[in-house]
Amino acid sequence: MTSVRIFFVGGLISFRALFSFLRPEVYIPSMLVAPLFQILLFVYIGRSAGLESDEFFVIGNAVQYAAVPCLFAMTFTIGGERFQHTLGYILSSPAPRLPLFLGRALPVVVNGFFVAAFSLAVGGLIVGIHVPASSVAPLALATAICAFSCTGLGLTGAGIGLLLREQAVLANIMFGVLLIFTGANVPVDALPGWMQPISNALPFTHGIDAARQVADGASLSDVSGLLATEVALGLVYGAVGYVFIRNTERLSLRYATLDRA
Amino acid sequence: MPPVVEAIDLHRTYRTTTGTFRRRSLEVEAVRGVSFAIEEGELFGLLGPNGAGKTTTIKMLITLLIPTAGQALVLGHDVVDDAHWVRERIGYVFGGDRGLYERLSALDNLRYFAELYGVEPRRQRARIGELLELVGLESREKERVEGYSRGMRQRLHIARGLLHDPPVLFLDEPTIGVDPVGARELRQTIFGLKAAGKTVLLTTHYMFEADALCDRIAVVTRGKIVAEGTPRDLKARVSDGVVVEIEVYGIENGKVESLRAIDGVTSVAVEDRDQAQVVVVQAEAGREPTHDVLARLDGVSLGRVTTREPTLEDAYVALVTEEPVAVDG
Repeated sequence: MTSVRIFFVGGLISFRALFSFLRPEVYIPSMLVAPLFQILLFVYIGRSAGLESDEFFVIGNAVQYAAVPCLFAMTFTIGGERFQHTLGYILSSPAPRLPLFLGRALPVVVNGFFVAAFSLAVGGLIVGIHVPASSVAPLALATAICAFSCTGLGLTGAGIGLLLREQAVLANIMFGVLLIFTGANVPVDALPGWMQPISNALPFTHGIDAARQVADGASLSDVSGLLATEVALGLVYGAVGYVFIRNTERLSLRYATLDRA
Repeated sequence: MPPVVEAIDLHRTYRTTTGTFRRRSLEVEAVRGVSFAIEEGELFGLLGPNGAGKTTTIKMLITLLIPTAGQALVLGHDVVDDAHWVRERIGYVFGGDRGLYERLSALDNLRYFAELYGVEPRRQRARIGELLELVGLESREKERVEGYSRGMRQRLHIARGLLHDPPVLFLDEPTIGVDPVGARELRQTIFGLKAAGKTVLLTTHYMFEADALCDRIAVVTRGKIVAEGTPRDLKARVSDGVVVEIEVYGIENGKVESLRAIDGVTSVAVEDRDQAQVVVVQAEAGREPTHDVLARLDGVSLGRVTTREPTLEDAYVALVTEEPVAVDG
């Protein structure tokens, strides 16, 4: 019971406590308006250069923008403990660590999904793309899975950021990598050869591909392999992040690593 | 009955590096063989200046740091081997205004930690209400912590440390930076904890605070305990000495050192007061060092010179400024 409550109740409270973007004056411009700018920029570049369709850019950028809430919120809700000087209180509590840290990921996934879905809906309306009603649910599922996998990467970033302290810098770099490598704006097979294996190991690449296919009428079973790969990547990144956090905790007991805020 | 808290020859060394290209590794011995035992229901004070090793000692006792050597036991359990068991039974409060979730209310801060400490959901509301009342925050509990004064934050820290009703409490400089009225209220709260049967380890800079609250005190400096006993024991160390205070306007270290060499002088400290400094010289009973002191300050611009009986504060200053000597109360 304690673990379940720490996962759900504790996770939500710490998300509210540490994700500073939740104030309306920050949230609206950075989570709801900024992704539309990104979508419009790439749609108009695409149109003027005669590249991919509007739908290609709207889906790619709306889903990829989930990286902002997922990466930043995940790193802030874990690394932020160090800067609020609450980490000592957390680490010397008897709370089980798995729900303590992973519970913070759930609100991040939900928020990441909301931002991507909002961007997709509003960006699609502005640009004028049409998605069949039958594709909406599969598209939503693909978007949610992308938010999940990117949160896994965010957990890895949080683990590294906890140790290195430069969380925002790391999240910004990861955002840039995802923008370039995941096929959000340039099809993966058009990227230089050395980039493609990296693309395939990153969140979003398979999910964005699946989202585009279902928007074009493919069924969920048609893209199940892509979505399963996306889920697996999220789990792997999440596990790496969790192991990193636990190791950092152990290291801190021995070397006082986390004491130096 | 075994002690509730026991430190046995605790050591803690920090390794740190300096330089960017030519990195050098340095070892800092923060705690160098600290031993003490706290009995059930006792309020024990660790008193010492900044950097003495008080916080490092507490961090080892609350499972946040592994000792480099030695052992720490809480309720008979090793803090390294049985860390989880110990964590369930201790509460701790660090001083200062950080360590709270600024964007949350006091209520939400307490709710969160109630979850982490496994306080039963049906007990949470009542327990949080009791604690808010205990620390006098019951009318402000829904306000965000970012708007709280330092004293209010400190009281919230104490409430948080008591959520799971631990039998042992570690309070690390809980009144630091709090205004006099707030500090007095906090001391009343701490005294109430002792009255409620809690075993408390308190660290503080303030001698009068330790005197007012603690059953026993250990004075720590440079990572070692230099004196331990009841406040009365420590007062007795200086009760028959004499203190000379000389107001000076600019004094070199060499002059200060020369005062230490005067026969019968037990400690010399220099305090800044506005534009001037005050040299505080303590001497053994029966000595009258004023003449010798003034002679050695020849050439220094002097102000008022006073002679008085020593206070407990002087005992503390003497202990933390002189070379360590083993004194047991």
